[in-house]
Amino acid sequence: MVRYLITRLGQALVVVVLVTVIAFLILHLLPGGAARATLGKEATLEQLAAFNHEMGYDRPWIQQYLMYVQRLLHGDLGYSYQLNQSVVEAITQRLPKTMVLSLLSTLLAIVLAIPLGVIQAVRRNRWPDYAITSLSLLAYATPIFFMGLMMIILFSQVWPVLPPEAPQGFTVGEVLADPAGLVLPTVTLAIVTIAVYSRYVRSTMVDNLNENYVRTARSKGLSERRVVLRHTLRNGLFPVITLLGMYLPALFSGALVVESLFNFPGMGQLFWQAALKRDFPILLGVTVIISIATVVGALVADLLYAAVDPRVRLRGRAS
Amino acid sequence: MSESTEPIVRNSSADRDRAGVQPLLELRDLDTDIALRRGTVHALDGVSFEVMPGETLGVVGESGSGKTMTALSIMGLLPQGGQVTGGQILFEGRDLRSLAADEVRRIRGVRMGMVFQDPLTSLNPTMRIGVQVAEPLRVHEKVGKAEARERAIEILRRVGMPRPDRIVDNYPHELSGGMRQRVAIAMALVCSPRLLIADEPTTALDVTTQRQILELIDDLREEFGMAVILVTHDLGVIAGRADRVAVMYAGRVVETAATGELFRSPRHRYTEALMEALPESAIREAGEHARLYSIPGLPPDLSRPLTGCRFAPRCRHVTDECRTTEVTLSPGTHQHACLHPVPAASAGPVTLPAPARIEAEPAPEPAAPPTGPDGPAATPVLSVRSLVKDYAAHGRGLLRRDAGQVSAVADVSFEVAPGETFGLVGESGCGKSTVGRLAVGLERPTAGQIVLDGTDIAGLTGRERRRMHRRVQLMFQDSYAAMNPRMRVDAILAEPLEIQKVGDGAARRARIASLLDQVGLSRRVLERYPHEFSGGQLQRIGLARSLALQPRLIVGDEPVSALDVSIQAQVLNLMKDLQRELGLAYVFISHDLSVVDYMADRIGVMYLGKLVEIGPAREVVRAARHPYTQALIDAVPSITPNPAAARDGITIRGELPSAMNPPTGCRFRTRCPLAQEICETEPPLAGDRHQVACHFPLRPESSAASAEAGAAA
Amino acid sequence: MTTLSEAAHPGTAPEPADASEAPVRGLWRQGLVVFCENRLALVGLGLFILLAGLCFLGPVFYHTDQVHTDLSAVHLAPGEQGHPLGTDGVGYDQLGRLMLGGQTSIIVGLAAGILATAVGTIWGAVAGFVGGWADAAMMRVVDAMMSIPSLFLFMLLAAIVTPSVPMLIVIIGAFAWLGPARLVRGEALTLRSREYVQAMRGMGGTGGRAVRRHIVPNAIGTVIVNATFQVADAILYVAYLSFLGLGVPPPAANWGGMLSDGLADTYSGHWWLLYPPGIAIILIVLAFNFIGDGLRDAFEVRLRRR
Repeated sequence: MVRYLITRLGQALVVVVLVTVIAFLILHLLPGGAARATLGKEATLEQLAAFNHEMGYDRPWIQQYLMYVQRLLHGDLGYSYQLNQSVVEAITQRLPKTMVLSLLSTLLAIVLAIPLGVIQAVRRNRWPDYAITSLSLLAYATPIFFMGLMMIILFSQVWPVLPPEAPQGFTVGEVLADPAGLVLPTVTLAIVTIAVYSRYVRSTMVDNLNENYVRTARSKGLSERRVVLRHTLRNGLFPVITLLGMYLPALFSGALVVESLFNFPGMGQLFWQAALKRDFPILLGVTVIISIATVVGALVADLLYAAVDPRVRLRGRAS
Repeated sequence: MSESTEPIVRNSSADRDRAGVQPLLELRDLDTDIALRRGTVHALDGVSFEVMPGETLGVVGESGSGKTMTALSIMGLLPQGGQVTGGQILFEGRDLRSLAADEVRRIRGVRMGMVFQDPLTSLNPTMRIGVQVAEPLRVHEKVGKAEARERAIEILRRVGMPRPDRIVDNYPHELSGGMRQRVAIAMALVCSPRLLIADEPTTALDVTTQRQILELIDDLREEFGMAVILVTHDLGVIAGRADRVAVMYAGRVVETAATGELFRSPRHRYTEALMEALPESAIREAGEHARLYSIPGLPPDLSRPLTGCRFAPRCRHVTDECRTTEVTLSPGTHQHACLHPVPAASAGPVTLPAPARIEAEPAPEPAAPPTGPDGPAATPVLSVRSLVKDYAAHGRGLLRRDAGQVSAVADVSFEVAPGETFGLVGESGCGKSTVGRLAVGLERPTAGQIVLDGTDIAGLTGRERRRMHRRVQLMFQDSYAAMNPRMRVDAILAEPLEIQKVGDGAARRARIASLLDQVGLSRRVLERYPHEFSGGQLQRIGLARSLALQPRLIVGDEPVSALDVSIQAQVLNLMKDLQRELGLAYVFISHDLSVVDYMADRIGVMYLGKLVEIGPAREVVRAARHPYTQALIDAVPSITPNPAAARDGITIRGELPSAMNPPTGCRFRTRCPLAQEICETEPPLAGDRHQVACHFPLRPESSAASAEAGAAA
Repeated sequence: MTTLSEAAHPGTAPEPADASEAPVRGLWRQGLVVFCENRLALVGLGLFILLAGLCFLGPVFYHTDQVHTDLSAVHLAPGEQGHPLGTDGVGYDQLGRLMLGGQTSIIVGLAAGILATAVGTIWGAVAGFVGGWADAAMMRVVDAMMSIPSLFLFMLLAAIVTPSVPMLIVIIGAFAWLGPARLVRGEALTLRSREYVQAMRGMGGTGGRAVRRHIVPNAIGTVIVNATFQVADAILYVAYLSFLGLGVPPPAANWGGMLSDGLADTYSGHWWLLYPPGIAIILIVLAFNFIGDGLRDAFEVRLRRR
């Protein structure tokens, strides 16, 4: 278990380093290099040269990369001349709000997906299963922004109960103070997540229901309810923990679209606007931060899984 | 002499039956269907039998006979699509099919218990053992947590678990297979049921563990005064443990009788044929090398409508009447459903003579000289010298770091002469399969020599190494897994010829045709894919592929272990025939001593990576010198149970030590009843032709005895 | 995603009848039968043929001007002035535009999906076969790239280069290969240890033969099935990029772009600009998912051993 912990931590570290390498390479593959990317199209050649010298971009690549990492470690992700604020500052304003949105919709997805998946597995190949499977596929095949728009039309126009725009608060507290505005973005982001999670829960539950230990449990004269809830559900849900980690990149991609659609002032929206304005310091900074968040999230999920599932936890002790 | 085969009559069952005692369980005309995607399988068709309180009923049959479906129908545990469609399940006089679902569940949970085949998968991997064992108490008797735990510990103690107060807090994967099966039994017994159904409870276990578990079930039956239904494919297990037997074939009960009666005088032609197909029958009847009786063909497809006796297409005594008339069980205590039964006289053709395993009986004339037909001077086909194989132990799954060394094979030496069959026996984890894989060059030894036909294979270059593979071939246990599912049989059979660049297209086709003739398959199989064949047919195709390069030696790794008795007989006969025709040598690796005894000229016995005994087959089996060999022999269930062996034989206790950290000296000493201090030093493999690695061999080498006998005559 | 239907698990299946009685059928035939038994797979195939036919053959019979704007015929409702699906904000015929946009969506989806599958297969296969340090290093690269949410990466790249159809294909193809790479590596590792590969080695066969005759033919099914899902995903990615303002610039069109343009018209009641492209995207993505599920069953030889 301890050894697993170390191995897994080492892997995560390597991945983080590689992420920074990729970000660094992209920055330097930009036409005109990092200087042009930072200073914009209007900058003169002298300004570019001065910038390059100041940032050390006229030195060998290895040295440049080390300097980049050093700056990164000091929390320096560059400066956005377009926003006229440092990248770190821009991100720290937005990141918590994105986390709130992601967390809320993940919670909603888990709460709904588990019962749906269990119902599908227990009634597999009968109409409830087919119905939920079809809806999941439909949700998966619908572009998120189209789905979001449908929600807006339904709940803001046809039956106007919810605002079509997300809360515009500056802090997390202000955002949470407007729960009605959070509903549509959260639900929109959750729908696709529900589709993915419930399919996964269904498949692990079906696998578990076919296991021999379930037959043993039935042979004890247990009710079907107890067999499912006490025996298969636990075993079926353990792997879902790792799925939470694996699904993070898709969740953040979804948040990018949802934030843009509902005008939610999170990191995704920041990124979107930066992309339209070609504000590269922001683009790269957000990419690095969101990737590290993904790696850390996946790491936490894996370690959590190892901690709760006795099959993994006690592996070292097995004969 | 024939008196010794009298069944062991048990007190509890002596006065049962026909004396107004009501059966505990009675099945009346039970029909079970299983709906599959491609039609409905009529798994059970009119199954009837009864189980008296306190008796053990053995239900025996081959795969697909419906024996497991019968057990599952009683317990209401049929797989998806399965349904009891007719008949009655009378338990304590009440038909379970007519009771409310809740009540039936309660009856099944409290009054019945079931033990399944595979202990590795039949326990919930994420639930503590105590919780699982006590669950029926908590649910059905509403017992509190603390008391449930106490009672779980108590029942675990009664099934012989060491340190039950600690085991309750363990998870299943922390226990060995045998221990897990004890847990499963404890779970089934925790509510003190009246009926225990054991479905192949020992099939996944080693013979020595099997013996422990079967004895446990026997003891518990008396202790709890419950009845047992013992479902198995193994006639030997039934013969030793059951009071009465029901023989099933193709979804029907074809014969029921008291155990002794059935084995002494089977009436149904299927039962008769099944017994004759057992390797131990062939040895008993005609000494070694008799042909086994093999039942031709395959069991019928139960998804099609069938008329007449279901065994008719495979029966030696079939008449037209058999194919058209529905046969029902005859009345009486010995029931059979056969139009032309074996005459009831006790002098029938299959009357079994006395058990062959009598210690006093001297080993008969020395078996065929192990040096084979080429005379003593011939070079061995295979010579293994001081073979060692260590594996780096990996943590399983997520973690792949070296965690030590596993000593899989430790200093093993033996030779195989041309045309000879060398049997390698041992329980799982003893290293016998590793020896096989090393011998065919699939893995490289850590140390030691492998000499094939006089050439050390370690020194071969790439091209020579490829040619070396022509001389020795491997035969797998699961031929389906050993064949590429996307290749047709013609491509599968042509592959060895292509690899070794033998002949052109036409020559290869001709060779493949002759191979099919040799293994008795029609040319039509060539256009088909592996998934279209049954186990026996696949094993024939596998054998044909092994023969394609005309090897001198075939290493068979459990080649018949996955097959039913009747199919096993077909394959064993085929292997023997081919050996005679082609002068093949075999290394026959198996856990099944009776099969090895039938096939092998010489036998080597392995324990935890070591060769502990090696000698002529008959001597090793009938006059074992190593205590482990003797324990193994005593543990093999036989259809002629030897009460003396059961009582006085050597029983192994405890668990197989880890190969990562094997005991010093004699590796068996930790479980050996004869172990003394000196056993901490390693015993050499000593002896002339019948060698043993033991400080206290059970008997002197019997070749000496036979020499004396010769001198006296 | 999982298959829609599992094979039934009978406890003890009876032995199959003697194989020589059944008619001889090749694996492809058997696979086709399994595929055709899956009604959803057939629906998916039908949908794909219908949509592809509409987009690629439609313009042959239904001529529209998709180059010149016609400001005299803006926002016509369906049916008006001979426009069955109306016109958009600059006067393009919506039905004709749907056909044109569908061509882009289908071409980009197919090409990017195939490119991603090809790159991923090669990467994963090399990692799986070589093993050891190379494997570890290659898979860490995959891990690293996978932890960058793909839409962020695509947008970053789309912000650097001006998107055109070939550029979109390259961008999506170059970063969607991570899934297939993982999948193929796993497949290579399992197949390498299969008993039939061992049996072949026992005959003296080389590693090259193992790859050629055993591993590739058995892995190809997984790869093809995955490719269909990749195509579906690629079509969605194009739609997202268009929505985020980084799609193909006009007058070129794709369904995603049309849908995003239609968003602006939501409040003005021009529903015909919104729903047709939206439904088209959903249908084509569903079609590829159905086909993928059907193919998965069809390639699974083991399923037929029952």
